[in-house]
Amino acid sequence: MAKLLFSTWRDEFIDNRGKPSEEWSESGFKLPETYHGERESKAFIGWDGVAIFDEDIDAVVLATQYAAQYQEYSEACGRCAPGRWGGRILYDLLDKIARGEGSHDDIAHLKEISQTMMVTSKCEIGRTVPKPILDLMEHYKEQFNTCIDAQIQSIHYEGDISYIAKVTAPCTDMCPAHVDIPAYIEGVRDMVFTDSLAATRQTMPLAHTCGRVCPHPCEDACRRMNLDEPISIMELKRLGADYETDHEIPWLHPVEPKPLRNDGKKVAIIGAGPAGLTAAYYLALEGIKVDIFEELPVNGGEVAVGVPEYRMPVDKYNKDIDLVLELEAVSITNNCRVDAEKLKEIHEEYDATLLGFGARLSKKVRATNENPDMHGYWGAIEMLDKVNLWHKYGIGSPASNELKDKTVVCVGGGFTSMDVVRCSIREGAKKVIMLYRRDEKTIIRNTTYEEYHEAVEEGVEFIFHSSIEEIYDDGEKLTKLKVNKFDLVPDPNGGRAQLVKQEDGDFDIEIDYLIPAVSQSLDLQILPDEWNIEMTSWNSILTNGKDYMTSHEGLFAAGDCEYGPMTIVNAVGQARRAASVISRYIYDGKCTLLDDEIMEDHLSRLRVYDKKEKVTGWMPGIPRVESEKLGVDERKTNNKEVNLGFTGEEAISEAERCMRCYYISMVAV
Amino acid sequence: MMSTIRNVEPKAINLTIDGKACSGVFGQTILEIARENDIYIPTMCYLTKTLPIASCRMCVVDVEGVDGMILSCQEKATDGAVINTNNDELYKERQNIMKLYNVNHPLECGVCDKSGECDLQNKTMEFGVSGQNFTTKEPHRPVQNWGVISYDPALCIMCEKCVRVSTEITGDEALKVKFGGYSSTIINVKEDANYKTLGEAAAVCPVGALVDTSFKYTANAWELNKIPSACPHCGAGHDVNYEVKNNKIYRVTNQAEFSTMCSASRYGFDFDNKNVKKDVSSFNSAIEAFENAETIIFSNETSNEEALIFQKLKEERGYKLISSEARAYQKFMNAYGSVTGKLLADGTLDKLTKSRAVIVMGTRINDDAPIVKYHLNMASKWQRARVVYLHPIVDDEISNIVTQFIKYEAGSEEGVAALLADTLLKDAALPDGVRAVLDDLDIGNLSAESNVGEEELEALRKSLIKKVGYSLVVGSDLYAHPRAQNIAKLLALLEKYAGFNVICVPPAGNAMGISLICELDDEVEGSTIGYNVKGDFTLSALGDGDLDMPALNQQEGTLTAFTKRVVPLNVVLEYGGYVLNDIANALGLSAEYTIEYTKELPSKKGFEAVEFDSLPDYFDAVGTEHRGYLLNEVEVAVDETLEEPLEIDGYDGTVVYNCNPQEHFSAFTAKSKNLEQNAYLRGSQQFATVAKLADGDKISYTIDGVKFERVFKIDTSLKGTIALNPTFDMGLSSALISSYRFNQVEIEKVGS
Repeated sequence: MAKLLFSTWRDEFIDNRGKPSEEWSESGFKLPETYHGERESKAFIGWDGVAIFDEDIDAVVLATQYAAQYQEYSEACGRCAPGRWGGRILYDLLDKIARGEGSHDDIAHLKEISQTMMVTSKCEIGRTVPKPILDLMEHYKEQFNTCIDAQIQSIHYEGDISYIAKVTAPCTDMCPAHVDIPAYIEGVRDMVFTDSLAATRQTMPLAHTCGRVCPHPCEDACRRMNLDEPISIMELKRLGADYETDHEIPWLHPVEPKPLRNDGKKVAIIGAGPAGLTAAYYLALEGIKVDIFEELPVNGGEVAVGVPEYRMPVDKYNKDIDLVLELEAVSITNNCRVDAEKLKEIHEEYDATLLGFGARLSKKVRATNENPDMHGYWGAIEMLDKVNLWHKYGIGSPASNELKDKTVVCVGGGFTSMDVVRCSIREGAKKVIMLYRRDEKTIIRNTTYEEYHEAVEEGVEFIFHSSIEEIYDDGEKLTKLKVNKFDLVPDPNGGRAQLVKQEDGDFDIEIDYLIPAVSQSLDLQILPDEWNIEMTSWNSILTNGKDYMTSHEGLFAAGDCEYGPMTIVNAVGQARRAASVISRYIYDGKCTLLDDEIMEDHLSRLRVYDKKEKVTGWMPGIPRVESEKLGVDERKTNNKEVNLGFTGEEAISEAERCMRCYYISMVAV
Repeated sequence: MMSTIRNVEPKAINLTIDGKACSGVFGQTILEIARENDIYIPTMCYLTKTLPIASCRMCVVDVEGVDGMILSCQEKATDGAVINTNNDELYKERQNIMKLYNVNHPLECGVCDKSGECDLQNKTMEFGVSGQNFTTKEPHRPVQNWGVISYDPALCIMCEKCVRVSTEITGDEALKVKFGGYSSTIINVKEDANYKTLGEAAAVCPVGALVDTSFKYTANAWELNKIPSACPHCGAGHDVNYEVKNNKIYRVTNQAEFSTMCSASRYGFDFDNKNVKKDVSSFNSAIEAFENAETIIFSNETSNEEALIFQKLKEERGYKLISSEARAYQKFMNAYGSVTGKLLADGTLDKLTKSRAVIVMGTRINDDAPIVKYHLNMASKWQRARVVYLHPIVDDEISNIVTQFIKYEAGSEEGVAALLADTLLKDAALPDGVRAVLDDLDIGNLSAESNVGEEELEALRKSLIKKVGYSLVVGSDLYAHPRAQNIAKLLALLEKYAGFNVICVPPAGNAMGISLICELDDEVEGSTIGYNVKGDFTLSALGDGDLDMPALNQQEGTLTAFTKRVVPLNVVLEYGGYVLNDIANALGLSAEYTIEYTKELPSKKGFEAVEFDSLPDYFDAVGTEHRGYLLNEVEVAVDETLEEPLEIDGYDGTVVYNCNPQEHFSAFTAKSKNLEQNAYLRGSQQFATVAKLADGDKISYTIDGVKFERVFKIDTSLKGTIALNPTFDMGLSSALISSYRFNQVEIEKVGS
């Protein structure tokens, strides 16, 4: 928490002016008092107020520059009368005052125009820009008055302070890939689906995929929740991607891909999953040569061989993959397992290497007599590999050969375990049971409401508060499980509730298959011992989470191998950042961040979404639109996509609920 | 647009607006309900026929218990809401917005074409904005000429209505917003295409930023006399307002808030038969010709009343009536109705816009029926409808709408119809006889003959993934097909047993009206009277016949639009000559004016016995159309006997397809100077190779006895081996070209 001179941030009001700096009070918010490295911030100004860290601040220029940023960023908007002209007038009048030509009438006009912008602008950007400006005009009135009364320039008018700005939105901030969500939703609202897709692809190449199977953390930061229900952000992404596919238009890249540089620089990427594809995409758009090494004969990583067809149709995923692989700068080698020796060779040959492999080792359930080699014990990753390779690519044989009419128990509680049980149903298993240590609420939180309910509808039996104590076999195959039941006992002191084993709760289940899906770990054979690569405490590859370089020079890591088993969108976000860093690193050997990336990290730390904020100016009580799903009998014996997606009308109706919560933030350094 | 999400019965809501108890259904916006209740909320960017644009923010209202101002155009009304549309605070903010709109808007209304009908002017007055209190430096932005329209960015208020029309309605997708804050502007990203449909975008401009290039600086809005009428060209019978001064049409406008025109009617208004006087000797010759003639041949540009005169003359004097396109449509619809039990197909354009999947077959829809194309586009934009387009020729102009193109062989329409029926009726409860015919289909053979693969049909079936909301649009390729009747029956099954909203787009003009009113014949006998067609004696509104007749904008009467609406035509320009009614009277019929026949139109075909002068002609405040009347539903006898598709002879060699460009329909649009364009035979490079032609070759060929002499042009936007042959320029011969639209022709090179 920063000590500061003055703050109106959010509901905070701090005024330490006149006090010696050691007596300054602290802000309750993680404001960026240090910009980057040694560079201190002088002020931070944004949608929710202004914070001043340095006495030598020029409030008039700060306000003017903030208005100027609005002008610049309204290039992306300018779509309502109040915002378009109001912003322009704000800037013109403020600049007039700052250069010593203003009048008190201008102050009155500024207040009037601010009021109109705040109540009638189309987006939050227009509604919020006046707020910190009015704060400055109120609390730094004397600086404004001096300029007006003496008709002199304000102290820093000549521009010896830098102003670094960024536009964000609560959803964009929460999205690990920082997708410009309001822009792609606006493309849907405008029915210009190419604009929608172009907005998504700026930071997210996997538009089909993340329009289907993203767990959408963004929706937990949707301001619409403060009013009624969050926007169905994730599903709206599908429309742009489907438009491109349906109308067979040429690939819509966010920028024209630059020609291959042919300057001898090249980057190796290990793994063609979401992380590898994303990094390859953004490097290749820059014209940087990328070679991908993929162990499997098929591309796409866990999304291809892990996520079932009924959730993520492979023809759609292949569009996302082709988008990347068809770029001139990208080539891929399949069936190429990279081990430690090979990695050393690659790293020698390439200017930088990005590790983008997944977590593909199924962890054990830790029960007595757990023998992974026993027939009937089947790791979730291996099981899903078999299911997906067969259904999507015709490789191998159908898993129904094993599972038809059998009893299957899965232990888990996350997405992978849901995929296991729902695939088992589709492969014709007689009885499918999910054992989960915690309760229904938690499984929904870990996955989605839809996943859980659809699984229940399809006939999966969930046994909560349970775990396996012992596994029995007859020497050839598994026969049954001994299961413990627990009670969730609330902590009388208000702490986390404890699981307490029920005395008489044990029971047996006769089984044919046990499929543990309790988590996955990394296959670390790839890392040469002599590199001594630093690992996290949960045994993933350590980076600083900003530039994604590992402890080994020039070796980067992104996605599950860096974070541990996590989401697609997390892999995309990390890989895009890594690609950006790599694109500079291969030329100057330094790991640097762009101002935009520094600001992105500041804002994530500050947190843009404020769940306590009262939303005004929107009609409450407009429910979130749900897309049509296949009925249970229409889906449980096949691999048809369950979610039929929005109709246009539903999508537009949902897009109209979006409040376009764009915000500008700016740091003075 | 009211919500019809998944056809769930809309939830009724009750609310209070300005103290008035109002009701509606959930999904309606506050503004929609207010307008239904005659409550005024000011707007600058609202356009009833599109989805809310929400750029002007003028429509903000106060909702009790909700902080802040609520955008009534976009926000849905909720049950129990108490809304106030006006108070001091709202007035002040609206006034401030008007002040902002006036920042830098040139106050030179005297030289602006929009003056007198300008929303900015009106609202500036309404909100008492007297001067420009804010100004900023304005970048210089020159006026752009975009063909039929011109754009002056300095006058543009960025309401985006034009962009919405271009995107949502006409689907030309030419106009976009170029984002740039205060220097935002509208751009035309398809300038080269020179779309005439841009006129529809200009029609909704609230200020003088987008104006018709030809109208610019020619007249003041308030001097023009507006005469309502209906489109004489495209068959949709949409509303038009001829704006006239001194017996001259200056422009054509429409109720653009609610409806949209085809480009032919917006620009092709100068087709009147000019300077005609009563020529007694020609008239007498005409009567003599009628006395001797056995057949009357007439084109589609014949009003309902004129058609009825012909029918009555037939009844009185036994003429054969020949109107080939209408006759083909009549036979097709009779066969269609024998399955559905109704005289007309059930489909409506409104239901088309609400479709989740649309199949289009047997028509080059973008050129044949622009109004239907608009509605297809609305379905594409509003519903993200899957649009499967089946045709022998791909049409790049609708690639933004079409999600699957299925190419079939010219001539194989019957097989394609059978494949569609087989694919789409798999789960339908069909009568045994029908099921037996479908079960007996030799799918492999049909697939091979038509060149429509089973995977393509499987993909088509997948397009119908949503459970409801299917439409089928078919057109003129089918009507003159040798197997038209069986095709009609196969397709009618989709309406009857699979719930398709089927639109059988008739040939242009009044073909549908003629087909309902006249008992048409197939063969010419004896000496002929031609009406806008070459006959032994020719009556013509084109000005080159043996006796002049009035054009459709010079006479009163009605047309039967393919929307099943009977719409009035009014006299727009003076006409001094004889009309058909004069001849009819001379031949023994008796009516003072042609419109006395309006009330006599056949009720057994769904017409109503209404006097012409009682026909309404307006849209109400919420956009409901009150123009003429809708035909009544008529039941007909059912006979579902189907035949097996016949084997076809392939079309090899040089095949041409009769097809006019989007803004042309007939010899009358060809007559329009505004729409003047050369008629070439246009083919792909591949066609040129097959036909051994080079770009610019002068060629000659004959279709339906009409000899075409044209220049051949290679059109790189075309693919395949079929060339497009326009017919609009063939004058009195145009209407003779009425056989199946694909023709294998011998092309003779007559020069280069």
